[in-house]
Amino acid sequence: MANPRILDKRRRSIRNIRKITRTMELIATARFKKAMDRASAATAFTNRMTTLVKDLLASGLEVQHPLLETRSDTRHATMLVLTANRGLCGGFNGNLQRAGFHRWHELTSAIPNCRLEVVGKRGIAALKFRGITPHESYTHFEDKPTFEEVDVIASRYLEEYIAGKLDRLDVVYTKFESIARQHVVIETLLPLGGIGSGTSPGTARGAEASSTPAASGGRTSLYEFLPSPESILEEVVPASFKIKLFKCFLDSAVSEQIARMVAMKAATENAGDLIHRLSMQYNRARQSRITSELMDVIGGVEALS
Amino acid sequence: MSTATASHNIGHITQVIGSTFDVEYAEDRLPAIYNAVKIVSEHKGVKINLTGEVQQHLGGGRVRCVALGSTDGLLRGQECLDTGEPVKVPVGKNTLGRVFNITGEPVDGRGPVEAEEYWPIHREPPALRDLSTKTELFETGIKVIDLLTPFVRGGKAGLFGGAGLGKTVILTELIARIATAHGGYSVFAGVGERTREGTSLWLEMQEAKIGDTGRSVIDQTCMVFGQMNEPPGARLRVALSALTMAEYFRDKTGADTLLFIDNIFRFSQAGSEVSALLGRMPSAVGYQPTLATEMGALQERIASTTRGAVTSIQAVYVPADDPTDPAPATAFGQLDAFVYLERSISEKGIYPAVDPLASNSRILDPQYVGERHFKCARRVQTILQRYRELQDIIAILGVDELAEEDKMVVHRARRIERFLSQPFLVAEVFTGKPGEITPIAETIRSFEEICEGKWDHLPEDAFMYVGAIEQAEAQWKKSQKK
Repeated sequence: MANPRILDKRRRSIRNIRKITRTMELIATARFKKAMDRASAATAFTNRMTTLVKDLLASGLEVQHPLLETRSDTRHATMLVLTANRGLCGGFNGNLQRAGFHRWHELTSAIPNCRLEVVGKRGIAALKFRGITPHESYTHFEDKPTFEEVDVIASRYLEEYIAGKLDRLDVVYTKFESIARQHVVIETLLPLGGIGSGTSPGTARGAEASSTPAASGGRTSLYEFLPSPESILEEVVPASFKIKLFKCFLDSAVSEQIARMVAMKAATENAGDLIHRLSMQYNRARQSRITSELMDVIGGVEALS
Repeated sequence: MSTATASHNIGHITQVIGSTFDVEYAEDRLPAIYNAVKIVSEHKGVKINLTGEVQQHLGGGRVRCVALGSTDGLLRGQECLDTGEPVKVPVGKNTLGRVFNITGEPVDGRGPVEAEEYWPIHREPPALRDLSTKTELFETGIKVIDLLTPFVRGGKAGLFGGAGLGKTVILTELIARIATAHGGYSVFAGVGERTREGTSLWLEMQEAKIGDTGRSVIDQTCMVFGQMNEPPGARLRVALSALTMAEYFRDKTGADTLLFIDNIFRFSQAGSEVSALLGRMPSAVGYQPTLATEMGALQERIASTTRGAVTSIQAVYVPADDPTDPAPATAFGQLDAFVYLERSISEKGIYPAVDPLASNSRILDPQYVGERHFKCARRVQTILQRYRELQDIIAILGVDELAEEDKMVVHRARRIERFLSQPFLVAEVFTGKPGEITPIAETIRSFEEICEGKWDHLPEDAFMYVGAIEQAEAQWKKSQKK
């Protein structure tokens, strides 16, 4: 029979683990609500922005903007992977890594110059284990990414793109659709083809949502633009890209908290099951020891009498 | 049997208690301890032919005997003859190919055995100076045994396991592997196990051939049975009868002899059944106080001497899967190699269900098996140990939460775990796969390569029931074609 002392020790350590996971579940729930509010606030803004650009493009102008033109050959590509800084969130990081590696292999085999940029300690650690050093890594994004922080990265991409040092930007992140549904998507944010025509080259499923039937119709707009549509475009197109990238960060943050919430809930339940099982084993082991000792004593008395 | 030798010393039964009985002799002609006494009579049509063994002198001319057969129909006052010597069994080459019971009578229905010599079953263990100290690996072709619990030639190996984990299957597998390639003699002792298994083993041995010689395995083997249906006295002594026959081959022919015992626990159990009847006070868990003495007396005789070697393989039943139970714990200390079968492994469908962490061998030491073998075995154990430690975390948090290194450990451990399974020669009808004999060099190479990560790309199922690692690859390719 198993040693009751060892069983009890194991049970105690699992109880401690359960305490931790339960607390983490509560914390994740609180954080998720905040992150969710931020994300949904940003959603409204992003949607409005997208409509605005569409309206501008639909006004029948010959749009001339470096960010909107598609380049025939892609020579420089960057892949940005948004992972979490912390673990204990189920398959969140693992799924991102798997999707990321897959795309990374595709990119490196097709495009001569590839850069890999990673957000989150978990992603960095996973890369390190596979012997890949990312060209750039960020660990300062927590569960509340600010626009200013994202703006720095976004501006750099824009500069590189205009300077011709970057032809394509892929972002790997976990898209938040609803509380019950989040999944890993790979979106091609640059070139910004998706805004205008809806026929963006190499875009993952997530980006297609932005094109509506109205945009492809090419009707003349009901609006009048002041000062001129061109000067507004000049401002709006880069801003649109930044917001899109910012939205990725926000989605990722929400998804991480949901993933953690779900993972910790499951962990707490699993720990409970394990404790239940160990308790049963412990009680049995303890009782069988008592029984056998009693039997020995009684047997001894019987034999002597 | 040499019946009614010189003395004609006759006593009368005074008491029958279960499988023991008391006999009263003349005060000055008491039979010695361990002497065989015989009761041959017929009362109201009930024929009795019973042998007993003197265990105690009670005083007043009475002796207490353990019956080596059924005491049904025994009456007080019946005559009981002292044979003047312990139970003797036939030994020598004429015993080969035959099946005996505890008292050395053939039970295979092939007529009497013409043996030149009869030896008493109680004998001294070999003297200190005669013992052989040679240590040599005994290859079995079973991966998990060769790698983690290498057997010793001329040593003792134990197969520990609870009910239904496949102890007897492994034992018959070893007979099929070793005895067919073995030049010397084999002795099989069936102690307190199913009679059906004994019969099927006997039939299998008649069919199996030794190497290319065309002779059956049974021609080099003798079998002694004292199975479940027999009274405790028979089960208590049958191992000694078989051992005596093995000792003859060792001492007189000098041949390498194999001694298979299934199941040594029944020997202890039989001892505990008669112990209380003999008036001894029960000890821990109700076992006899003389448990260690009895086991020691038996095991010390199974030894290799400078004249010849006895390699013994014993199955040990572990009651309630509790290895701390006194009976298996006592047997445990006597063995060179012990293979522990674990229920949780058999539940995964991995056979032989050897627990790679609880099993061990005295010669798993660089001095005997070599640096490479030792390192490989330890590495496999380290990986599996780490996997076992991680199991609670995996159960609570899931595999995704592990560090990358630990994920790799889990990945390989799960493959190693499955690769420890192996198709058996005797289980071909169940698995549908021919048995695999894997040379030890292949085994070590395969495990080294798995540890190094050369076969990480194969799915777990590919590692189930194969021999060397290349077969895992072949199995995978075959399943992909489908």
